[in-house]
Amino acid sequence: MKLSRRLVLRGAGAALALPLLESLGTRSAHARTAEAPFAIFFRQACGVASQQTTSEIGPEPERFWPRGTGPLTARSLEGRALDELAGHAGRLLVVKGVNMYDFDYGDGHARGALQGLTARGPVVRGAGGNAEADGESIDHRIGRELNPGGRDSLFLYAGPDGGWLGGACISYRGPGQRRAALRRPRQAYELLTGGDTGGTEEQQALIARRQKSVNDLVRAQLQSLLARTDLSQHDRQRLDLHFSAIRDLERSMLRLSKDEERRLGDAARYVESTDGDDVMSLVRLHMDVAVLAIASGHTRSVAIQVGNGNDGSTRYRDPDTGKHMENYHYVSHRRRSHDASGDIIAGADLQHHKVDRYFARMFEHLISRLAAYPSVSGGSLLDRGVSVWYNDHGDGPAHGTSNCPFILAGSAGGFFKQNRCVRLASGGATHARMLNTIGSAVGLRNARGEHLDDFGDPSLPRGVLDELLATSSS
Amino acid sequence: MAESRTGPPLRCPRRGLARARVTVSLLALVVCGCIIREPKSASQSRPASARPSISTRFARLTHAQWTNSVRDLLGVSVADLQSGLRNDPRPAGFAFDNLAASSSVDDALARDYQRAAAVAAERATAAPAQLERVFPEPNGAGDAAGEAFIRSMGGRAHRRQLDSDEVEQYLAVWRAGASAYPELPERTARVRLVLEAMLQSPHFIYRVIHGQVGADGNIELDAAELAARLAFALWNTMPNDDLLRRASLGELDDPSRVREVAARMLGDERARGVLLSFHAQLLERDRLSRIAPSKDSFPDVSEDFAAHAARESDLFLDYQVWERSAGYSDLLRSNETFVNADLAKIYGIDGSFGESFSKVSLDPERRSGLLTQVAFLASHATSRDPDPIHRGVFVARRLLCQNLTAPGNLPPLPPANGRTNRQAVEAHTEVAGSGCAVCHRRTINPLGFPFEGYDAVGRERSTDNGLPVDTQATPTIDAVQKPVRDGVELSALLAESGSAHACYVRQWLEFAYGRPATRADAALIERVGERSRLGQLSIREILIELVSAPEFRVQRAEELL
Repeated sequence: MKLSRRLVLRGAGAALALPLLESLGTRSAHARTAEAPFAIFFRQACGVASQQTTSEIGPEPERFWPRGTGPLTARSLEGRALDELAGHAGRLLVVKGVNMYDFDYGDGHARGALQGLTARGPVVRGAGGNAEADGESIDHRIGRELNPGGRDSLFLYAGPDGGWLGGACISYRGPGQRRAALRRPRQAYELLTGGDTGGTEEQQALIARRQKSVNDLVRAQLQSLLARTDLSQHDRQRLDLHFSAIRDLERSMLRLSKDEERRLGDAARYVESTDGDDVMSLVRLHMDVAVLAIASGHTRSVAIQVGNGNDGSTRYRDPDTGKHMENYHYVSHRRRSHDASGDIIAGADLQHHKVDRYFARMFEHLISRLAAYPSVSGGSLLDRGVSVWYNDHGDGPAHGTSNCPFILAGSAGGFFKQNRCVRLASGGATHARMLNTIGSAVGLRNARGEHLDDFGDPSLPRGVLDELLATSSS
Repeated sequence: MAESRTGPPLRCPRRGLARARVTVSLLALVVCGCIIREPKSASQSRPASARPSISTRFARLTHAQWTNSVRDLLGVSVADLQSGLRNDPRPAGFAFDNLAASSSVDDALARDYQRAAAVAAERATAAPAQLERVFPEPNGAGDAAGEAFIRSMGGRAHRRQLDSDEVEQYLAVWRAGASAYPELPERTARVRLVLEAMLQSPHFIYRVIHGQVGADGNIELDAAELAARLAFALWNTMPNDDLLRRASLGELDDPSRVREVAARMLGDERARGVLLSFHAQLLERDRLSRIAPSKDSFPDVSEDFAAHAARESDLFLDYQVWERSAGYSDLLRSNETFVNADLAKIYGIDGSFGESFSKVSLDPERRSGLLTQVAFLASHATSRDPDPIHRGVFVARRLLCQNLTAPGNLPPLPPANGRTNRQAVEAHTEVAGSGCAVCHRRTINPLGFPFEGYDAVGRERSTDNGLPVDTQATPTIDAVQKPVRDGVELSALLAESGSAHACYVRQWLEFAYGRPATRADAALIERVGERSRLGQLSIREILIELVSAPEFRVQRAEELL
């Protein structure tokens, strides 16, 4: 395919003139990837405004979960944060009863954030803010096993560089091996597109030629280093990772429109902002790039993290007053303090609900974007994969491990039930099984070629949650 | 730059395992209790036969080191390129931004290097004068000229002489340059493409240790590798030609000569930035960027308050280290500092002050070094109140190298309700028999309460909620409980403490070595720490001791495949 051929993904809501994915060609690994199931993980911290009793507020009503289980209806969603997704109810699977394990992380945020995609305990017990997860995260495993050439999955981040748990903290290559996140959507976009957004075919060919000359040399030097027989395992892994990252110019046939490319560039001003409006704008741009990365076959997995370990700096605007609320972590604690000191925030439970709605709207943006994209096999990109809005905790002040929200959109090609709210029948720690189920939906398999049952801490129940499968009658 | 982990306070172990502090070896890990990492006594030092610490052979340059090295290699300004390199992850439990074991090159960073290298190479060849600087060979664009250029520039970029295979590889790039940049003169095009390649070479990106593993399992750095390690540790950039020349002449072959070289290097302007960077990270300076003093409680605090506090701290450290050749004790004891009009109000200094900073002497009865300066006090406070818990945790962790476990789900601290801040914290964290009391009563609170005499912006106060402030405490330092009257006395106690000096040396070792301290470093830390405590070493001399030690030059290979 010629480099100059551009296919433009227009913004959701605009008149769509979207390319069918077969236009990528059927022979390339990218094209095959572009037709395969995928997973996009969208992380929220600090629990949700579910029914609970807190010492600060007292009894707090249910404002998040649908009423009952079964089909999602206007009535079941009414007044709950999830009613923001009512327009996509037919593509949703709302899972109640996902319980993380009470690993001894020494801190509730570490336990939720680091376990969230790894289903693992800490490398060192009780390390609190200095904790690291003791295993690979599911987003990385999907990329490692299913992406073309084992390419890294995308890890996108909207939050401060540092702070509690060191900022970006949900994606791991392996035990204690935290991944770097991309904070600027433009960085991720250029990974897909080759960086150059203009120029003639001839100019682009020149760029490709230059890069190939340099890459050949860098590869040769890395190979020479790798040929040593006295390398340690870690050093070999380090060089292997570098070697696999040296890629000749690959230019996605799919591009954002010029206006959208401009907005990606402008997003730099959001990156350091703690204003909730800016953070949400940044997240939506990350989502736009994520969808493009999926559609173009660049990756089959994306993780999007909002806020650092405790999302302790983002200040969302109260839609009713127009004023900024306290930072989200304060709101989730119902107090003006990261450390559980400080005055009680009157109406913090309702404020938490408003933040939940903001997250729902961001997720809705992702869903709409995917739904606007037609898939060769029929339906939309949304149907082909699964998008997962999940939370580190089940509730606000307690930051508990039980009933952590997992809101799934898309059936992953018919793997998941749709238009359902399901309460998991099995009690105990079900979270590892949730991740094994998502991994299976995307195509990961165990050593026997069966559904995934080897992801997460071996002491936890693993394997697929049958009640979530479309083939299940329960 | 590794930032501190801000957020929930530490509480005692959830399972009530420890009743008192537990002093164990330098590197023992948390079991549950409050304190586990204190330097061992001399009698517990490692035997001389103990093996050196494990390190990677491929320590990737930090982004600052990469851009500084490009600047020094090519003589062009590239500081703006640093922000284009994707952020490194912040590994947990390491205070600094240069943990070698966690730095890697992934897809995104490889792409960023590619882009940054292209820009840097373009700048270095854009004008004839610049091109002349990187390629002084006048003899055209043929292979002979190319080889000379590659050997010269490559030797600096790789920080060692290139072998013939490497020269051939670069020559292939040289030859491809003309067609890669057909719009440029042939010579310019070839130089430019070769420079792009060198800046992406693993030999430039990593500080490569080439030596073979000895029979004892150790790897000793050769002179050029040691020069590079010294340069990145003391200058945060690549070695210059003079340092490499000295290395080739054998000037780094014995520790006493390394001391001389290191002392000379610390006279270089580049070392000033390194010392400031170390202290900024050690002191959790990043917290200042997130403070927001309440406008209701502190209406006269300016919008630039945090920046002024950071500036004061930098000026103080620069003055102490370079003008006064201070030791660590001086950082904790000095009553001199630098203020502008904004900070003069906080310190209650009369006189005429403007935007610029002036050196002043504070009342030594009321202020004593870093812990009584605005930067520390204001960055360890809530928007309204001082935060004795985090002030105590900071002292315990960063200044005494004690490891504290953190709690799971925190019970909220009730409002003061007519009590002082201290009384509220005590009532909440020191309930007899509670798990919280284990750490708070003996460790955290006694290290934080002495600073209750300073409010959330660092101003002195004598009352809190209309009640007298109580700053007396009995912290346990060097395994002895000693009463202190206030923050000034606590600072004095720390300045005399063997644990505090050993901890400071340990922090320097981790920063300079780019790895966590291990048991194998204990003797070095103890020895240098004790000399520091005795006033025998300035801060610069501490650093010289560390980089001239065998631990800096010899490392143990990680396990082999």
